[in-house]
Amino acid sequence: MPMKGRFPVRRTLQYLSQGDVVFKSSVKVMTVNYNTAGELSEGARKFVFFNIPQIQYKNPWVQIMLFRNMTPSPFLRFYLDSGEQVLVDVEDKTNREITEHIKKILGKSKEMLDKEERERKKLSHPATFGPKKYHLRECMCEIEGQVPCPAFVPLPKEMRGKYKGAMKNEA
Amino acid sequence: MAPRGSLLLLALLLLSCALPHARGQHWSHGWYPGGKRDLRTPSDLPAWGPRAVPARGRKTRHDPPAKSKVGRVKMPPPVDPEELLVVQERYRQYRLVLSALRAEFRAEVLQKKREERLIAEGLPEELEEHRRLMAWNEEENGRQRARREERLRREEEEQKRRKSEIAEKQARKMEAFLEEKEKEVLQLQEEAKNFITPENLEARIEECLDNPRNYNFAIDKDGRVVKRTVLS
Repeated sequence: MPMKGRFPVRRTLQYLSQGDVVFKSSVKVMTVNYNTAGELSEGARKFVFFNIPQIQYKNPWVQIMLFRNMTPSPFLRFYLDSGEQVLVDVEDKTNREITEHIKKILGKSKEMLDKEERERKKLSHPATFGPKKYHLRECMCEIEGQVPCPAFVPLPKEMRGKYKGAMKNEA
Repeated sequence: MAPRGSLLLLALLLLSCALPHARGQHWSHGWYPGGKRDLRTPSDLPAWGPRAVPARGRKTRHDPPAKSKVGRVKMPPPVDPEELLVVQERYRQYRLVLSALRAEFRAEVLQKKREERLIAEGLPEELEEHRRLMAWNEEENGRQRARREERLRREEEEQKRRKSEIAEKQARKMEAFLEEKEKEVLQLQEEAKNFITPENLEARIEECLDNPRNYNFAIDKDGRVVKRTVLS
């Protein structure tokens, strides 16, 4: 059973997480003005169709607005929290060029992203055990090579307290 | 010694008799691995997953309670009201204080993180970098504008050229048409000289009668035309 829609791959998590444009925290609103017809708006249309879901996935707190057929030429406008407005003319550009452009001017650099990733990793210790929400593993029995969980595979009787107690009582 | 030894022997015997019949115990004791609920289901099913057979035990939910439970009245555990009030009040205050403290600490941590982030972004290098990128963006826009103007200019030229071409073609067509019409008129004028009008009707008839024209001709096998036939 195929997925619904024209390019349902745009709705998959793998595709969305492949987006590499993470805006700086000063960017609050992104506005795209484009036309639904015309050769010059083709890049902008493809950008809106393919790349905006990725951008919104990576920047859930940025408001993205689309305006169709309001201006003769397509452009992007970013509203930063300092009140500054950044205009990007995208006439006659492919969608890849547009993403590269905005990544360069308003995206977080690779080093910054790596630093943030490291900060986030520091908060949680990978060696601890506990609920799945906060830790990687809940019990030692989940690790390969360790004693399997007695709920699924009964322990050999030498390891059971019942047997050990019986032996001790006997002796 | 001997009785203990025989006791030991007896114990061993009993154990050896009991162990092979381990499966003969009743399931309700819960001694089998996995407990009472696991007996009839395969162990590789997750505990929270749907089971082929329900885990309730012997009875379904539609069976009535047992006869021994007929007069049973379920009473809640006894509670001392004064103690309860005191304990509830104490717990309420304790929880209030703790949650307030937690909220305070959480807010403090968030505030510190936010300030740190703002400082990190307000650094002069960052601002410098931002200005540089904005300047680059402006340049890019300027280049795009130049390209667009170029394109528009070219399109305009193209348009003009096409228009002029069409006008030319139109003019040429008009000229050719006029020429043709002129030629026709001249030809007609020429022919008009030879027209037969009521005035020279008589004269023309006389002329025709005077010069009989012979339109017959013979043709031999080589295709040569012979016009010297006799008027019949």
